[in-house]
Amino acid sequence: MRVLLIEDDAILGAAVRDQIVAEGHPVDWVMRLDAARDHIGSAAYDLVLLDLMLPDGRGLGLLRELRARGDVTPVVILTAMDQLSDRIEGLNAGADDYLVKPFDLAELSARLNAVARRYAGNPNPLVRIGDLDIDLAARSILRAGRAVDLTAREWALFEAFVQRPGQILSKAQLEERLYSFGTEVESNTTEVHISRLRKKLGHGIIETVRGVGYRLGRPA
Amino acid sequence: MKAPRSLQWRISLWLGLGVALVWGIATVATAQRLGHEMDKVFDSALEETAQRLLPLAVLDILSREQGDASQRIVTLREHDEYFTYVVRDDRGGTLLRSHRADDSVFPAFSRMGFVDTPTHRIYFDAALQGTVTIAVAEPLAHRREVANEALRGLAWPLALLVPASLLLVWAIVRLSMGPIRNLRTAIETRGSGDLTPVPVAGLPSEIAPIADAVNHLLVGLDRALKAERSFTANSAHELRTPVAAALAQTQRLIAEMKDAASRERAQQIERALQRLSRLSEKLMQLARAEGGRLRGGETADIAGVAKMVVDEMVRKPGMTERIVLDVPKTPVAAGIDTDAFAIVLRNLLENGLKHGPPGSPVRIALSKDGVLTVSNDGPPVPPDLLSRLLQPFERGRTAAEGSGLGLAIVNAIAAGTGAKLVLTSPLTGKEYGFEAKFTAPPAAGEGRRDPSRP
Repeated sequence: MRVLLIEDDAILGAAVRDQIVAEGHPVDWVMRLDAARDHIGSAAYDLVLLDLMLPDGRGLGLLRELRARGDVTPVVILTAMDQLSDRIEGLNAGADDYLVKPFDLAELSARLNAVARRYAGNPNPLVRIGDLDIDLAARSILRAGRAVDLTAREWALFEAFVQRPGQILSKAQLEERLYSFGTEVESNTTEVHISRLRKKLGHGIIETVRGVGYRLGRPA
Repeated sequence: MKAPRSLQWRISLWLGLGVALVWGIATVATAQRLGHEMDKVFDSALEETAQRLLPLAVLDILSREQGDASQRIVTLREHDEYFTYVVRDDRGGTLLRSHRADDSVFPAFSRMGFVDTPTHRIYFDAALQGTVTIAVAEPLAHRREVANEALRGLAWPLALLVPASLLLVWAIVRLSMGPIRNLRTAIETRGSGDLTPVPVAGLPSEIAPIADAVNHLLVGLDRALKAERSFTANSAHELRTPVAAALAQTQRLIAEMKDAASRERAQQIERALQRLSRLSEKLMQLARAEGGRLRGGETADIAGVAKMVVDEMVRKPGMTERIVLDVPKTPVAAGIDTDAFAIVLRNLLENGLKHGPPGSPVRIALSKDGVLTVSNDGPPVPPDLLSRLLQPFERGRTAAEGSGLGLAIVNAIAAGTGAKLVLTSPLTGKEYGFEAKFTAPPAAGEGRRDPSRP
């Protein structure tokens, strides 16, 4: 899940970015609205984290722009305004959720994942595939009743497949979801992660569609 | 009589009484002057009659045969006689008299000129060295009747004129008071949050300075409220971001730390920051509640606000089972600011959750007429403590963590918006529990009527 973070406070922004990166999602972090517009125009984001008060304008303006041109990318607002009326205004402008500063990072992660799941069409965090019991909210997997540990990267990759059952994801798409701008991507990294997932969850969990990409299969 | 309080009635009453008094005095004076003048006219007529009759009577007597005493003048035509007269000789014998003349009316001749008897005014004159005298009498009753008639003639239009002038005075005063009444209405009917200037155009010069002063005050008040508003909004924003940054960095630090002892220390920083953030939020709410920001003629759907606040709250873990919400499906309009009501409910709800036994329910009910009750099953609160709970930083006998500001904030909002807050503990018919009942002010337009006005 590739995230665009728009936050002008350097200390808060860094902590939020590190939190999301630690969960395995790539983050592009900008501090101004104009930079945010450039990024949105040049990459496909799965989620935008938007601060409302930015040096070059109000975040709600950007949100309204996005919605006006039919962009449905999920947007979660970070706001220092504590009044209910401000939040109502944000939701009316097309935000998917909001967090009032100061917030717990754990709550931030939970909200982001909940919004992402809602967009994938299945708000229920509990998914069962074959002998796998997956809790997307708690980030836990039981394979035949035994817990399986995944690294943050592996999770992010696996989540992308779970949220799009049946859909073929190309290597380029996966890389875009896994890495932010300016990250050196080694050519076989994605293949390495996929082979580890197969090892931990069962060989059939990710099928290779030759020449096109990968899709979710059944563990075997 | 109690003096009327209305300026209009006071002016009308005194002006009217004054006019009536002046009219009365003028009438009495005129009547007196008129009576005096009429007496003069009547006297002159009496005198004239005597002087004209006497030579005629003398001629008549001298040419007449002897022995035919006391001749009565023959009436030519029957008529009323106001004047009667007798002509007498020097021995008192009557030589001539008018046909209605009554001898007893006329006293004996004493001198020339006017003589008053109890019933008549009489004029005496004499001729031929006093051997022939004439007395002409006019009944006083006649004079009185004429005078009364004149007085009636004066008084009659007065009876109409005085009420008419009173009415006129009242109408003019009322008309002149128009601008003052309009000013009063303009000030009286505005909502408590309406700080637009009152109209000054057309006000009389005595009142215009008052309106100007009111407008001056309103402008000052508006400026002060706006400054306060932007200060609380800005300081909230300015304070939240650094606290958020410190908290987020601390939580990252905790996540990345391996050493258990250091982690424990970092977690203490985290808890302190969380407490700081809660306290600063409460202080900000209290500043808002005690300031003028929440006053205003706004109308909000408090049922919608209640759902939203509860929705926010249940997203925190473990809350879904504890909050029992009973809110009408249809909007409930109340004359309170959206954020003010949200702060009220959030504080009551937080208190209910904090002080109820773990896992016990907190019930929120909102009636269609804007009465919000929040109750829990916590331990009973003694009555003396119950009243003190509304003071800032006053906390019940509780181990629960809190700033002690929640109820003070709700109380300040209630006072500022004209709402009512009643605390009850224990719950009616129970031995435990605590209930806060917040009666929101009615929406503008369907507001209570001011009982001091008809």
